[in-house]
Amino acid sequence: MKLMPASTAPAVQQKPIRSPWLTVILAWLVPGAGHFLLGKRGRALIIFACVIIAFAVGALMRGPMFQPTTTGDVLSRLIQTAGFVGDLAAGLLYFIAVGLGYWPADEPTHMSDYGSKFLVAAGVINILAMVDACEIATRQKD
Amino acid sequence: MPTLNLDHFQTSILFALLSSVILGLTTKSTDRERLRYGAQCFGWFLLALFGISWFMKLLHG
Repeated sequence: MKLMPASTAPAVQQKPIRSPWLTVILAWLVPGAGHFLLGKRGRALIIFACVIIAFAVGALMRGPMFQPTTTGDVLSRLIQTAGFVGDLAAGLLYFIAVGLGYWPADEPTHMSDYGSKFLVAAGVINILAMVDACEIATRQKD
Repeated sequence: MPTLNLDHFQTSILFALLSSVILGLTTKSTDRERLRYGAQCFGWFLLALFGISWFMKLLHG
């Protein structure tokens, strides 16, 4: 019986470029900051601009923020909670806007409706950027 | 506080543009691929926008 030689090549475990946790938290708080930290400045600027534009358009259209609720049917509660997560994902923009008193009433107009969707879109765009930054930080992609 | 009054079409175009940029930026690995995929996404968004709009117009008469 022929024994297989033990592999001489040690398993290479690449260290992350930066702490994934730090990258994701920074990317959440300031859109594009995760990419900036990782040296991807062009991408950071584009992400920052996209999130800012989406959030500003939503706020200028007087879109209401979602708020988790315990009343109403399951679907309404699900929509409110998911919308709240989307709003919150915009990071500091959300806290600054709410801190400055931005809390418009939910009006039955197309502007208000689109506005609230743009506020959520800003958060969802930021979530995509956070995942991307995390993958770059852990060397899963460049 | 100033307000922005965009119509349905303008809002849809802006949403398509922002989404396409981010999808291209986060899913591809080279600048060429990003640009190509972003443009492709934007094209699909526009096609869906016009397709659904015409469908609704024909449906409602």
